[in-house]
Formats: sequence, structure tokens, C-alpha cells
Amino acid sequence: MDYLISGFVKGLGLLISKDASTWSAVGATLQASTASMAVSLAAGLPCGFLLGYYDFPWKRALRTVVDTLLALPTVCVGLLIYALISSRGPFGAYDLLFTVSGIAAGQAILAFPIVTAITASIIESIDANLKLTLVSLGAGKKDILATCLWEVRYGILAAAVTAYGRVLTEVGISMMVGGNIKYHTRTITTAIALETNKGMFADGIALGLVLMTIALAVNVSLAFLRKR
Amino acid sequence: MGDIYQLKQVCHFYGSKKILDIEQMTISRGSILGISGANGSGKSTLLKLLAFAMAPAQGQIRFNGRPEAPMSPRVRSRVTLLTQTPYLLKRSVLDNVTYGLKVRNQTDHLQERAADALIAVGLDPQGFSGRMWHELSGGEAQRVAMAARLVLKPEALLLDEPVASVDTQSAALIRQASLAARDSWGCTLIIVSHDLSWLHEVSDTRISMADGKIFSTGKESIIPGPYARDNHGHMVRFLDDGSEIRLSDPFLPEHTANPTAVIQKEKLYLYPAMDTNGDRVNRLPARITQMLLEQKTGRILTTMDLKGFTLCLSVTANQAAQLDLVPGKQIILVFSPEDVDWR
Repeated sequence: MDYLISGFVKGLGLLISKDASTWSAVGATLQASTASMAVSLAAGLPCGFLLGYYDFPWKRALRTVVDTLLALPTVCVGLLIYALISSRGPFGAYDLLFTVSGIAAGQAILAFPIVTAITASIIESIDANLKLTLVSLGAGKKDILATCLWEVRYGILAAAVTAYGRVLTEVGISMMVGGNIKYHTRTITTAIALETNKGMFADGIALGLVLMTIALAVNVSLAFLRKR
Repeated sequence: MGDIYQLKQVCHFYGSKKILDIEQMTISRGSILGISGANGSGKSTLLKLLAFAMAPAQGQIRFNGRPEAPMSPRVRSRVTLLTQTPYLLKRSVLDNVTYGLKVRNQTDHLQERAADALIAVGLDPQGFSGRMWHELSGGEAQRVAMAARLVLKPEALLLDEPVASVDTQSAALIRQASLAARDSWGCTLIIVSHDLSWLHEVSDTRISMADGKIFSTGKESIIPGPYARDNHGHMVRFLDDGSEIRLSDPFLPEHTANPTAVIQKEKLYLYPAMDTNGDRVNRLPARITQMLLEQKTGRILTTMDLKGFTLCLSVTANQAAQLDLVPGKQIILVFSPEDVDWR
């Protein structure tokens, strides 16, 4: 137990002393997760809206596929992205392997079905009178999309936080696609895995604290927005 | 004046069930059309089609002479619908009232126009503009929704049970505001309501609906189903007390599904409760439930309960006096089965 407590104290010390490798991992994590969330929200919100709002053939089958992808194993995504962006893959020319951009691409694929599925569920549960009201007030298709999403903004925020939590805590994609390169593609989760293997609990705990703080900050922000 | 709406062979289905079947219908520009009918008779579906919130499964709806479809820019800015329980956006009252103007890019003098619309429904703009949607009572929310429609100055304002679930004061203000819209800019009003006295008071034309079909309220009465055949094979409509109304045998084209029994009002006769003489077949005890003076004609609209359904008949003041008609009185309604038509 003592080594855990001393690890905790040492971890705090690393953060306060602005340890370069620790803060590099924090930076890479924030970079990759922010980019991946931007992409997954930009693509997932309209897709979720379409899936929840409209009726079309094969809708149920598509919903089943999207819902299944919620449980997508991160190593499978890592494997897929690795195959696509490695030098032999179709996107090999873009040199994305072992880069933060490569990690972000994989994490976007991970977050996309979460954003899409939760958005679709929220849109499906919208009051049926909303669409009638919007059409009655002269809203066009783009207005209906934007207004519906705005009306369920708290649900959308919850979807984003859920997806962000998954992106922030994944290891498989960051490890396989990023390669865990120090000062370059080492993220918080891959660093924790590495430091723990080396018996460096203090470094692991320091990074774990950062991870928890980010999660807390996101949830506090959400609570603040809800209150407003 | 011309017709603002023209409907031709309009049918609509929910699944395989036909819920609207209108051969032809026109609505004059600037007029007030009152629509009544039982729940499930197709009134709300008709309003949604007229609001171009959805397209009919079959047939054509012309607006200002042109066939139109949902989302057409020509109708988006000219027709609006207020339902019984409208949705207020999760925003302030001002944002709710100005939403329609903003999506139409009519952003000049937003505050002033919103204030005028709020005043029209009896809400103080200063006190209400900044309120959020959850800070309103049911009646206030309905008036805000009405203001959001009025601010658009629509050519056609469709009201689906607009005062059914609001307090008396809000109901009066909504009614007043809708009539003011007609008087101010010639807005065509199409009102669906169970409040027959209001409909009779304000409507230029009245129709009733049953089984998705429209009937002229002024001339015809509907004898709603379910219909059955008695032991002798005659078509009848059983009443709640087990008695029956004898009807004519349906004689219809084969494609007519779910026919409705209709009788011309001039073929209906009222007799005092004790007088059952006459050679008519149907002698039905009926209790008068409501009597309303029709301001425009001076006639008295008399509503009767026939143990299972209600029926309205317009009688002259003299007839009412001769029969000593008063609400609560039981009379005998007499008519011949042969006078019943099927549509």
C-alpha cells in the first residue's frame, strides 16, 4: 500500500514540476482525442439525425449494425487502420502510421458509431409535435436538422461525453497505430501501460490523475451547460 | 375572391387503413371554414395535408391554383398550423415567436413584430418576451404558439382544436386573435373544433367529417357506424339501449369502402315526446342536449343525444317554440330508412 501512496505523491510531483515526458503524453492525448471527436461529431450528428428522423428500407438493419459497432474492439479498429495506412495499404502514401493523426483517424472510427447511435435514439424520442411545429413555422430541411439537434442538445452533449470517454481511455488504437513513441505518439493510456510494465507506478499514477481530471473537467462543463 | 385551396380525389392511408377520402373540395380565400366530427374521423389528417406537413397518398392539393407539395417554398411562407398541443422550442418566448421569421430570413424589426403578435394574443411583450418555455402556463404556452403563427401573417391559418385544453380567458383571446387575422389581412381560417357554438358563430362554411369523408353540415346529418344487419337482413345501426335505427340498403359502386349513412336534414322530423303518430319507420327517442342561436341565420342549432351518437338539426325559432324545445327535453326524431343515402 505504501508504494501506491508514494507513487501518488510522486505523480503529483511530476505534474507540478512539468515533467516533459508526462506532459508530452498529455498533449498527444488531447491532440488525438480532440481531432477525433471533431471528426466523429461532424459526421456522426447528421448521420444519427438521418437514422433517427427518417424511415427508409433497411433502417432497422442499419440500426442493428450501428448498435453492434458500439462494442467495436479497439484492437480491431487499430488493426484496420494499421492495414489501411501502412505503406502497403491504400492510404500508405499519406504517412499516417505512427503519427497522432493516425491515432485520431482510428479514434474517430471508434467514436463515430457511439455518436451516431446515441443521436439516432435521441432524435427518435423527440416529441412528434416538434417536426409538425417546425414545418408549420416554415422551416426548411436544414432548419429542421439544426433545430432538432439544438432541441436535444443536452442529449447530444451526453453522446459526445460518452464517445469522448471511450476515445480518451482506449489503448489498442494508440498502441498499434501510434506505436507508443516517446515525445511523439505516446498517449496517456499507452504511457500508463508502459510505465506499469516497467514498475514505474508514480509515472502511471501521474498520468492516471491527468486522465481522471480531464474526465472530471468534461463532466463539470456538461453539468454547467445543462444548468444554463 | 377565388379559391385558396382545391382538393381533388385526395386519399390518405395509415398502413392499409384509408383515413381520408375526399372526392373534391374547395376553400375560398379569406373565408372561415369550420370542421367538426368525431375523434378519428380524419380532421387532423386533413389539416396536416392542408398545412403541407405531409403529402396525400393519392390525389392533388392545389394552393393558389398550383399543385403544391410539402416543403415547397411557395407554401412554406404562406400556410401555418396550430395544433391542440403545440411544441414550444426550448428557448425564450421571443425566440419562439420570431423563429418562423428567422428561418424565412425576415429579420427586420423582429422585436416590434413579435411584440405586436404577443399583444394580439393578450400577452404583455415586456413581461413575457424574456420568459423561458418552462415558465409558462398551458394557456400562455398556447397563446405564445398562436403568436408565433400570427407574426408570420399567413395566407391560411389552420387551427386544430386550438382552445380544447386551455383556460377560458386564453381560449377567448385565441379566438379573438384568429378572427382579427382574417379581418386584418384577409387570412383564410380553417378551424377544427368540437366547440360547435364557436364554429357556428364564426364559420362562413361548415363541414363535418366521418370515416375520412366530408359532409355539408348545413344540409346533411351523418348516422355514424358501426352498421349491422338485423335478423331480416335489413341494414341497421344499433343504439346503446339495444334499439335500432333502420337504414336503407347500401347501393354503392363496388370500390366504395366503409360507406357512411347520411340523411338530408330536411328529411328529419321532430315530434313532441308523446306524439308518435305517423307512417315513418324510425321513431327514435332523443334528448335535446344543446340549443344554439346561429347569429348569421337566426335559426336554432339543436343538438340531440340518440343513445350512442349525437345529431344536430337546425330549426327555425317558430318550430322551436311550437315544439317547446328546451335542453333536457325528450322528443321523437322521425325519418324513413329510404331517405338514408350511403357515401
